[in-house]
Amino acid sequence: MKTTCFIRVPSFCTPISPIIRKHLQKSFNKTGHYNQNHISTLNSAQTSISTSPSSPAPSTSHKPQTPVFLRPLIYSSTFPDLQSFTSWAKTLVSSVGSTFVQLDNGSDSTLLLRELRWLLEDSIDDPSLIPHLGICQNGGITSNTGSSSTEVVRLRVSLGQMYQLWKQRIQERRPFQYIVGCEHWRDLVLSVEEGVLIPRPETEKIVDLVGNVVGGNEMLREGLWADLGTGSGALAIGIARILGKNGRVIATDLSPTAISVAKFNVERYGLQDIIEIKQGSWFSPLVHVEGELDGLVCNPPYIPSEDIGSLQAEVAKHEPRLALDGGVEGMDNLLHLCERTAAMLKPGGFFAFETNGEKQCRLLANHMENEMTGSFRDVNIVSDFADIPRFLTGFCD
Amino acid sequence: MVSRCTHLNVALKFAVVLSSASSASPPFKISTLNLFPCIPTARTWSEIHATQGNKVFSTSPHQTTSATGCDDNDSNDNIIGRGFLRLPDEQLMGQCEMETFKASGPGGQHRNKRESAVRLKHLPTGIIAQAVEDRSQHKNRASALSRLRVLLALKVRNAVDLDAYSPPHELLLILPAKSTVRALECGPQIKPNNPKFVLGMQALLDLLYAVKGSISEAAQFWGTVKLSTGALSRLILSDDQLRMAVNELRTSMGLKSLK
Repeated sequence: MKTTCFIRVPSFCTPISPIIRKHLQKSFNKTGHYNQNHISTLNSAQTSISTSPSSPAPSTSHKPQTPVFLRPLIYSSTFPDLQSFTSWAKTLVSSVGSTFVQLDNGSDSTLLLRELRWLLEDSIDDPSLIPHLGICQNGGITSNTGSSSTEVVRLRVSLGQMYQLWKQRIQERRPFQYIVGCEHWRDLVLSVEEGVLIPRPETEKIVDLVGNVVGGNEMLREGLWADLGTGSGALAIGIARILGKNGRVIATDLSPTAISVAKFNVERYGLQDIIEIKQGSWFSPLVHVEGELDGLVCNPPYIPSEDIGSLQAEVAKHEPRLALDGGVEGMDNLLHLCERTAAMLKPGGFFAFETNGEKQCRLLANHMENEMTGSFRDVNIVSDFADIPRFLTGFCD
Repeated sequence: MVSRCTHLNVALKFAVVLSSASSASPPFKISTLNLFPCIPTARTWSEIHATQGNKVFSTSPHQTTSATGCDDNDSNDNIIGRGFLRLPDEQLMGQCEMETFKASGPGGQHRNKRESAVRLKHLPTGIIAQAVEDRSQHKNRASALSRLRVLLALKVRNAVDLDAYSPPHELLLILPAKSTVRALECGPQIKPNNPKFVLGMQALLDLLYAVKGSISEAAQFWGTVKLSTGALSRLILSDDQLRMAVNELRTSMGLKSLK
């Protein structure tokens, strides 16, 4: 608790002194210590894997992990052994039943079975085998059909690792996305790992909102955009792909892990000439472009501190608190964003922020109207796909 | 539903055929919401209705006006039914009600649950398509939409005037490349994996319904040149869903299934 409070506070200080940064690094390690076992497991697995030539080399000290689906097919198993794994994994799932749902509104066995199928999809050379393993299209259970028992199945992780990974998924509630090292988000497959927020489906809509405003506006389409606290780089990549040929995006994050993962993702999508990744707190890496931004998006930490403990275990125990905790009311970062956005954007520049829901949206909109009169126009609260007021959008006046 | 029956006497543009066998192809779900039974004007519909016991539904023009204007060149009366398939994705999506899972909690950063299922209800026809198997909602939406297009092709029947029939262009496009009825300017044959295949599939089903499922009779209706029955059968068998729809029709007509 102490460490995380410590992280949150300096995220407002600009710039960060090297000493604080050193401390922050330490805190990352501390907050990540829960997962050290998994990481070392994966790393030891990776030492035997030659890094594929296409994986980009990050300039930071942190070496991003390769998602399972991108690893080489250097392991193998037999079909019956894989069947045994699947039925063992299914037994674990059925032992869960609705326990997680009751505990903290976590995943039920249907969702877990679907995840099991995705783990197999990412790990196995030939996904057409999956239905024969007793997992059907929708994640349900199909009857095992007899298949040639001598058949060798090529794998991207060893069968032993698959047992370990699935055990972590069920017993430690390690998020599925960290298990396979990726998240499917919009039409992208983004690498994620411990220390980086897993991009949420709600956030996909920010890219649509940006798409709507750049559609009829050349200044915005060919303009300079910023994604603050980019994490895996999801928003920056989504936006870079809809901007025109002259569009540019600066993506920032305080966490060195996020920086290296975002770089990996940006380079995997060949966007390194469009997206510039900078490490630093909020606007500090953007001082050189003050007043020049055409667009600004951000999915800041917005969960009230006291709610963090009661979150779904996957989130509370495994995701970086730095990316979730928004202070006492959850508004610290959003208010800071508001304060600086007017100065950062060009007149006519667009902003879109994600919030915790209706209350935060209203508070922010009121703040803009009453405390920052004349700075913004067309301020709008936009709902997410579940009809929860989620985003605040508008233009700099 | 009852109140809408006042529109029943308005000339019908198309019919949606919902058969008992349609639920046999998961993960689609067919619903009869927004539909109401009525008396079809085309003889094929009433015959199907009478002989096969299928429910035949049609929508009123009031519900379908948003689809008109998408097909200026087609002078026949059935533009609406076909028009759906010709709409670009955004416009077809605009006719749909999208349902996603309803978050039970505050959502966003609070949760990590992979419930990305998308359910699309096409309001003019009531047809529902859904996708749950993809790992992102974005992809599930795209899958659901392409599934909706297949279902529209399979379920929305346009009336066919057999006396003045000439095969529409989109049907010619899916014919085998060697077929003599196929004009040269048609370009390469459109195969089932091409998104444009559904247009030809719909036109072919329209004709097959009009001739009560007879392949040999359908093969007569290609202008002056006759398409071989074998070639037409092979085309039908090249796509599982088309084959199932045709066999369902043939079974209901007392004909043997194509194999």
